[in-house]
Amino acid sequence: MSGPEAPGYGPLVQPRYVHGLLLRLCVNFAGGVGVLFVILYFALSRPLPGDYAGIYLALRNLSPFLRPILAVSVLVYALLACGSTSALCVYILHKVAGPLYRMEMVMDQYRSGAPTRTVSFRNGDQIQALAQAFNLWIGTLRRDRQRWLATMKDAERHCLQDEATCRAEMEEALRRVAGDMARYR
Amino acid sequence: MLAFAAIIVAGGVIFWKLVDAEFQRVFLQAAIRGHYTIHSAFDIVRDLLVYHLAGLFLGVLLAGSALVLLLVAATRRGIGKAVASLLASAAGDLSTPTGTCPIGEFERFGKKIDATRSDTLDTVLKVRSEAAALAAGGMSPEEFRLRWDELKQRIRRIAP
Repeated sequence: MSGPEAPGYGPLVQPRYVHGLLLRLCVNFAGGVGVLFVILYFALSRPLPGDYAGIYLALRNLSPFLRPILAVSVLVYALLACGSTSALCVYILHKVAGPLYRMEMVMDQYRSGAPTRTVSFRNGDQIQALAQAFNLWIGTLRRDRQRWLATMKDAERHCLQDEATCRAEMEEALRRVAGDMARYR
Repeated sequence: MLAFAAIIVAGGVIFWKLVDAEFQRVFLQAAIRGHYTIHSAFDIVRDLLVYHLAGLFLGVLLAGSALVLLLVAATRRGIGKAVASLLASAAGDLSTPTGTCPIGEFERFGKKIDATRSDTLDTVLKVRSEAAALAAGGMSPEEFRLRWDELKQRIRRIAP
Protein backbone atom coordinates (compact mmCIF):
# COMPACT_ATOMS: atom_id res chain seq x y z
CA MET A 1 0.00 0.00 0.00
CA SER A 2 2.62 2.51 -0.95
CA GLY A 3 2.92 5.30 -3.48
CA PRO A 4 1.66 8.79 -2.83
CA GLU A 5 -0.03 9.11 -6.23
CA ALA A 6 -2.43 6.49 -7.48
CA PRO A 7 -1.46 5.16 -10.91
CA GLY A 8 -3.92 5.98 -13.66
CA TYR A 9 -5.48 8.84 -11.73
CA GLY A 10 -4.80 12.55 -11.63
CA PRO A 11 -2.71 14.09 -8.87
CA LEU A 12 -4.31 13.76 -5.43
CA VAL A 13 -3.71 17.44 -4.71
CA GLN A 14 -3.70 19.65 -7.82
CA PRO A 15 -0.49 21.72 -8.27
CA ARG A 16 -2.74 24.69 -9.06
CA TYR A 17 -4.39 24.34 -5.66
CA VAL A 18 -0.98 24.27 -3.92
CA HIS A 19 0.21 27.33 -5.88
CA GLY A 20 -3.03 29.11 -4.97
CA LEU A 21 -2.47 28.28 -1.30
CA LEU A 22 1.09 29.61 -1.37
CA LEU A 23 -0.06 32.77 -3.14
CA ARG A 24 -2.82 33.36 -0.58
CA LEU A 25 -0.32 32.77 2.22
CA CYS A 26 2.03 35.28 0.61
CA VAL A 27 -0.76 37.87 0.33
CA ASN A 28 -1.75 37.22 3.97
CA PHE A 29 1.72 37.76 5.33
CA ALA A 30 2.38 40.73 3.03
CA GLY A 31 -0.84 42.32 4.26
CA GLY A 32 0.20 41.73 7.88
CA VAL A 33 3.64 43.24 7.30
CA GLY A 34 2.03 46.15 5.44
CA VAL A 35 -0.23 46.88 8.41
CA LEU A 36 2.79 46.71 10.74
CA PHE A 37 4.62 49.19 8.51
CA VAL A 38 1.65 51.60 8.47
CA ILE A 39 1.27 51.48 12.28
CA LEU A 40 4.97 52.15 12.83
CA TYR A 41 4.94 54.87 10.18
CA PHE A 42 2.17 56.78 11.95
CA ALA A 43 3.74 56.17 15.36
CA LEU A 44 7.16 57.47 14.34
CA SER A 45 6.38 60.11 11.74
CA ARG A 46 5.54 62.95 14.16
CA PRO A 47 7.68 65.95 13.11
CA LEU A 48 10.70 66.65 15.29
CA PRO A 49 11.53 70.17 16.54
CA GLY A 50 13.98 72.13 14.42
CA ASP A 51 16.69 72.84 17.04
CA TYR A 52 19.37 70.47 18.33
CA ALA A 53 18.10 70.42 21.91
CA GLY A 54 14.54 69.74 20.79
CA ILE A 55 15.60 66.86 18.56
CA TYR A 56 17.84 65.45 21.30
CA LEU A 57 15.08 65.54 23.91
CA ALA A 58 12.41 64.25 21.52
CA LEU A 59 14.54 61.26 20.52
CA ARG A 60 15.61 60.52 24.12
CA ASN A 61 11.98 60.76 25.28
CA LEU A 62 10.88 58.43 22.49
CA SER A 63 12.95 55.53 23.83
CA PRO A 64 10.69 54.65 26.81
CA PHE A 65 7.62 54.60 24.51
CA LEU A 66 9.32 52.60 21.79
CA ARG A 67 8.86 49.23 23.45
CA PRO A 68 5.06 49.58 24.01
CA ILE A 69 4.62 51.02 20.50
CA LEU A 70 6.44 48.05 18.99
CA ALA A 71 4.60 45.60 21.26
CA VAL A 72 1.16 46.93 20.28
CA SER A 73 1.99 47.06 16.57
CA VAL A 74 3.41 43.51 16.61
CA LEU A 75 0.32 42.36 18.51
CA VAL A 76 -1.98 43.94 15.91
CA TYR A 77 0.12 42.33 13.15
CA ALA A 78 -0.05 38.93 14.85
CA LEU A 79 -3.81 39.14 15.37
CA LEU A 80 -4.48 40.22 11.78
CA ALA A 81 -2.13 37.65 10.27
CA CYS A 82 -3.50 34.87 12.50
CA GLY A 83 -7.07 35.86 11.59
CA SER A 84 -6.49 35.84 7.85
CA THR A 85 -4.42 32.62 8.06
CA SER A 86 -7.26 30.98 10.01
CA ALA A 87 -9.58 31.86 7.12
CA LEU A 88 -7.05 30.24 4.79
CA CYS A 89 -6.98 27.11 6.97
CA VAL A 90 -10.79 26.92 6.75
CA TYR A 91 -10.43 27.06 2.94
CA ILE A 92 -7.87 24.20 3.09
CA LEU A 93 -10.20 22.15 5.31
CA HIS A 94 -13.14 22.83 3.00
CA LYS A 95 -11.31 21.41 -0.02
CA VAL A 96 -9.55 18.44 1.61
CA ALA A 97 -11.24 17.52 4.90
CA GLY A 98 -14.71 18.06 3.40
CA PRO A 99 -14.33 15.25 0.82
CA LEU A 100 -12.80 13.02 3.53
CA TYR A 101 -15.83 13.60 5.74
CA ARG A 102 -18.22 12.78 2.88
CA MET A 103 -16.26 9.59 2.12
CA GLU A 104 -16.55 8.58 5.78
CA MET A 105 -20.31 9.12 5.63
CA VAL A 106 -20.56 6.94 2.51
CA MET A 107 -18.49 4.19 4.15
CA ASP A 108 -20.68 4.30 7.27
CA GLN A 109 -23.72 4.01 5.00
CA TYR A 110 -22.11 1.08 3.16
CA ARG A 111 -21.27 -0.72 6.40
CA SER A 112 -24.80 -0.27 7.71
CA GLY A 113 -26.06 -2.19 4.68
CA ALA A 114 -27.97 0.74 3.17
CA PRO A 115 -27.82 1.18 -0.63
CA THR A 116 -24.64 3.08 -1.50
CA ARG A 117 -24.62 5.66 -4.25
CA THR A 118 -21.62 6.52 -6.41
CA VAL A 119 -19.38 9.03 -4.62
CA SER A 120 -18.78 12.30 -6.43
CA PHE A 121 -16.98 15.31 -5.00
CA ARG A 122 -17.73 18.96 -5.72
CA ASN A 123 -15.96 20.71 -8.54
CA GLY A 124 -12.65 22.05 -7.20
CA ASP A 125 -12.45 19.54 -4.34
CA GLN A 126 -9.09 17.85 -3.99
CA ILE A 127 -8.36 14.10 -3.57
CA GLN A 128 -10.80 13.20 -6.40
CA ALA A 129 -8.82 9.96 -6.91
CA LEU A 130 -10.19 8.71 -3.58
CA ALA A 131 -13.80 8.85 -4.83
CA GLN A 132 -12.76 7.23 -8.15
CA ALA A 133 -10.95 4.38 -6.34
CA PHE A 134 -13.91 3.80 -4.00
CA ASN A 135 -16.35 3.77 -6.93
CA LEU A 136 -14.09 1.32 -8.78
CA TRP A 137 -14.03 -1.03 -5.77
CA ILE A 138 -17.80 -0.91 -5.21
CA GLY A 139 -18.36 -1.26 -8.96
CA THR A 140 -16.15 -4.37 -9.07
CA LEU A 141 -17.97 -5.86 -6.08
CA ARG A 142 -21.34 -5.21 -7.73
CA ARG A 143 -20.24 -6.78 -11.01
CA ASP A 144 -18.99 -9.84 -9.12
CA ARG A 145 -22.25 -10.04 -7.18
CA GLN A 146 -24.27 -9.89 -10.40
CA ARG A 147 -22.08 -12.61 -11.92
CA TRP A 148 -22.52 -14.89 -8.88
CA LEU A 149 -26.29 -14.38 -8.90
CA ALA A 150 -26.39 -14.96 -12.67
CA THR A 151 -24.45 -18.22 -12.22
CA MET A 152 -26.96 -19.38 -9.59
CA LYS A 153 -29.93 -18.28 -11.69
CA ASP A 154 -28.51 -20.13 -14.67
CA ALA A 155 -28.29 -23.29 -12.57
CA GLU A 156 -31.91 -22.85 -11.45
CA ARG A 157 -33.05 -23.07 -15.07
CA HIS A 158 -32.00 -26.72 -15.05
CA CYS A 159 -34.64 -27.38 -12.42
CA LEU A 160 -37.14 -27.60 -15.26
CA GLN A 161 -35.41 -30.92 -16.01
CA ASP A 162 -35.17 -33.80 -13.54
CA GLU A 163 -34.25 -33.35 -9.85
CA ALA A 164 -30.81 -35.00 -10.11
CA THR A 165 -29.67 -32.76 -13.00
CA CYS A 166 -30.97 -29.69 -11.19
CA ARG A 167 -29.07 -30.58 -8.00
CA ALA A 168 -25.89 -31.37 -9.91
CA GLU A 169 -26.04 -28.09 -11.82
CA MET A 170 -26.71 -26.14 -8.62
CA GLU A 171 -23.77 -27.77 -6.87
CA GLU A 172 -21.57 -27.05 -9.86
CA ALA A 173 -22.73 -23.42 -9.81
CA LEU A 174 -21.92 -23.20 -6.12
CA ARG A 175 -18.42 -24.57 -6.74
CA ARG A 176 -17.91 -21.97 -9.47
CA VAL A 177 -19.16 -19.17 -7.18
CA ALA A 178 -16.94 -20.36 -4.31
CA GLY A 179 -13.98 -20.60 -6.69
CA ASP A 180 -14.68 -17.11 -8.01
CA MET A 181 -14.84 -15.76 -4.47
CA ALA A 182 -11.41 -17.23 -3.72
CA ARG A 183 -9.79 -14.17 -5.28
CA TYR A 184 -10.98 -12.19 -2.26
CA ARG A 185 -8.50 -12.67 0.55
CA MET B 1 -3.96 26.38 12.34
CA LEU B 2 -1.97 26.45 15.58
CA ALA B 3 1.27 25.80 13.72
CA PHE B 4 0.62 28.82 11.46
CA ALA B 5 -0.20 30.94 14.51
CA ALA B 6 3.02 29.78 16.20
CA ILE B 7 5.05 30.80 13.12
CA ILE B 8 3.40 34.25 13.00
CA VAL B 9 3.81 34.87 16.74
CA ALA B 10 7.43 33.62 16.73
CA GLY B 11 8.20 35.90 13.77
CA GLY B 12 6.55 38.83 15.54
CA VAL B 13 8.46 38.27 18.79
CA ILE B 14 11.83 37.98 16.97
CA PHE B 15 11.00 41.12 14.98
CA TRP B 16 10.04 42.98 18.17
CA LYS B 17 13.23 41.99 20.02
CA LEU B 18 15.54 42.83 17.11
CA VAL B 19 13.85 46.09 16.13
CA ASP B 20 13.56 47.28 19.72
CA ALA B 21 17.30 46.81 20.36
CA GLU B 22 18.26 48.35 17.02
CA PHE B 23 15.90 51.33 17.33
CA GLN B 24 17.12 52.13 20.86
CA ARG B 25 20.70 52.17 19.60
CA VAL B 26 19.94 54.16 16.46
CA PHE B 27 17.83 56.79 18.25
CA LEU B 28 20.58 57.28 20.82
CA GLN B 29 23.15 57.84 18.07
CA ALA B 30 20.76 60.13 16.18
CA ALA B 31 20.07 62.20 19.33
CA ILE B 32 23.78 62.95 19.66
CA ARG B 33 23.87 63.97 15.99
CA GLY B 34 20.67 66.03 16.28
CA HIS B 35 22.22 69.10 14.65
CA TYR B 36 21.61 67.47 11.26
CA THR B 37 18.20 68.05 9.70
CA ILE B 38 15.87 65.27 10.79
CA HIS B 39 12.17 65.62 9.99
CA SER B 40 10.85 62.70 12.03
CA ALA B 41 11.94 59.61 13.93
CA PHE B 42 10.67 57.56 11.01
CA ASP B 43 13.29 59.15 8.72
CA ILE B 44 16.02 57.82 11.01
CA VAL B 45 14.82 54.22 11.06
CA ARG B 46 13.13 53.93 7.65
CA ASP B 47 15.81 51.76 6.01
CA LEU B 48 16.28 49.67 9.13
CA LEU B 49 12.52 49.16 9.49
CA VAL B 50 12.09 48.17 5.84
CA TYR B 51 15.02 45.76 6.16
CA HIS B 52 13.54 44.11 9.26
CA LEU B 53 10.02 44.04 7.83
CA ALA B 54 11.37 42.33 4.71
CA GLY B 55 13.15 39.86 6.99
CA LEU B 56 9.95 39.23 8.94
CA PHE B 57 7.93 38.76 5.73
CA LEU B 58 10.44 36.38 4.18
CA GLY B 59 11.00 34.41 7.39
CA VAL B 60 7.30 33.92 8.10
CA LEU B 61 6.53 33.23 4.42
CA LEU B 62 9.27 30.60 4.13
CA ALA B 63 8.24 28.88 7.36
CA GLY B 64 4.55 29.06 6.39
CA SER B 65 5.25 27.74 2.89
CA ALA B 66 7.31 24.89 4.35
CA LEU B 67 4.36 24.04 6.60
CA VAL B 68 1.91 24.13 3.67
CA LEU B 69 4.18 21.86 1.61
CA LEU B 70 4.55 19.53 4.58
CA LEU B 71 0.77 19.34 4.96
CA VAL B 72 0.33 18.72 1.23
CA ALA B 73 2.98 15.98 1.34
CA ALA B 74 1.27 14.37 4.35
CA THR B 75 -2.09 14.57 2.55
CA ARG B 76 -0.62 13.03 -0.60
CA ARG B 77 1.00 10.26 1.40
CA GLY B 78 -2.04 9.53 3.58
CA ILE B 79 -4.65 9.71 0.84
CA GLY B 80 -2.30 7.99 -1.63
CA LYS B 81 -2.19 4.98 0.66
CA ALA B 82 -5.97 5.06 1.06
CA VAL B 83 -6.41 5.14 -2.73
CA ALA B 84 -3.87 2.31 -3.16
CA SER B 85 -5.79 0.33 -0.54
CA LEU B 86 -9.11 0.82 -2.36
CA LEU B 87 -7.52 -0.13 -5.70
CA ALA B 88 -6.08 -3.26 -4.07
CA SER B 89 -9.57 -4.00 -2.73
CA ALA B 90 -10.93 -3.82 -6.29
CA ALA B 91 -8.30 -6.44 -7.19
CA GLY B 92 -9.50 -8.67 -4.32
CA ASP B 93 -7.04 -7.77 -1.55
CA LEU B 94 -9.26 -6.88 1.39
CA SER B 95 -6.89 -7.79 4.20
CA THR B 96 -3.62 -5.84 3.76
CA PRO B 97 -3.81 -2.88 6.17
CA THR B 98 -4.07 0.57 4.61
CA GLY B 99 -1.30 1.93 6.84
CA THR B 100 -1.91 5.65 6.39
CA CYS B 101 0.48 8.16 7.99
CA PRO B 102 0.04 8.80 11.72
CA ILE B 103 -1.70 12.18 11.35
CA GLY B 104 -4.94 11.97 13.36
CA GLU B 105 -7.44 12.57 10.56
CA PHE B 106 -5.74 10.27 8.01
CA GLU B 107 -5.10 7.50 10.54
CA ARG B 108 -8.78 7.52 11.53
CA PHE B 109 -9.79 7.49 7.86
CA GLY B 110 -7.41 4.59 7.13
CA LYS B 111 -8.93 2.62 10.00
CA LYS B 112 -12.41 3.30 8.65
CA ILE B 113 -11.39 2.00 5.19
CA ASP B 114 -9.86 -1.09 6.82
CA ALA B 115 -13.04 -1.69 8.83
CA THR B 116 -15.14 -1.40 5.64
CA ARG B 117 -12.88 -3.80 3.76
CA SER B 118 -12.83 -6.18 6.71
CA ASP B 119 -16.66 -6.23 6.86
CA THR B 120 -16.80 -6.96 3.13
CA LEU B 121 -14.19 -9.73 3.40
CA ASP B 122 -16.09 -11.23 6.34
CA THR B 123 -19.32 -11.30 4.31
CA VAL B 124 -17.61 -12.75 1.22
CA LEU B 125 -15.84 -15.45 3.25
CA LYS B 126 -19.08 -16.46 4.97
CA VAL B 127 -20.88 -16.67 1.62
CA ARG B 128 -17.97 -18.62 0.16
CA SER B 129 -17.86 -21.17 2.99
CA GLU B 130 -21.64 -21.58 2.80
CA ALA B 131 -21.40 -22.09 -0.98
CA ALA B 132 -18.63 -24.67 -0.48
CA ALA B 133 -20.66 -26.44 2.22
CA LEU B 134 -23.71 -26.56 -0.06
CA ALA B 135 -21.63 -27.77 -3.00
CA ALA B 136 -20.29 -30.62 -0.87
CA GLY B 137 -23.82 -32.04 -0.76
CA GLY B 138 -25.03 -34.55 1.82
CA MET B 139 -28.28 -32.82 2.77
CA SER B 140 -31.94 -33.26 1.97
CA PRO B 141 -33.36 -31.47 -1.11
CA GLU B 142 -35.60 -29.34 1.14
CA GLU B 143 -32.71 -28.18 3.31
CA PHE B 144 -30.54 -27.60 0.21
CA ARG B 145 -33.23 -25.44 -1.41
CA LEU B 146 -33.74 -23.44 1.79
CA ARG B 147 -30.02 -22.76 2.22
CA TRP B 148 -29.69 -22.00 -1.52
CA ASP B 149 -32.31 -19.25 -1.24
CA GLU B 150 -30.69 -17.87 1.91
CA LEU B 151 -27.35 -17.82 0.13
CA LYS B 152 -28.81 -15.82 -2.73
CA GLN B 153 -30.20 -13.31 -0.24
CA ARG B 154 -26.79 -13.00 1.41
CA ILE B 155 -25.09 -12.44 -1.95
CA ARG B 156 -27.64 -9.70 -2.76
CA ARG B 157 -26.57 -7.89 0.40
CA ILE B 158 -22.95 -7.56 -0.83
CA ALA B 159 -22.33 -3.95 -1.96
CA PRO B 160 -26.02 -2.98 -1.93
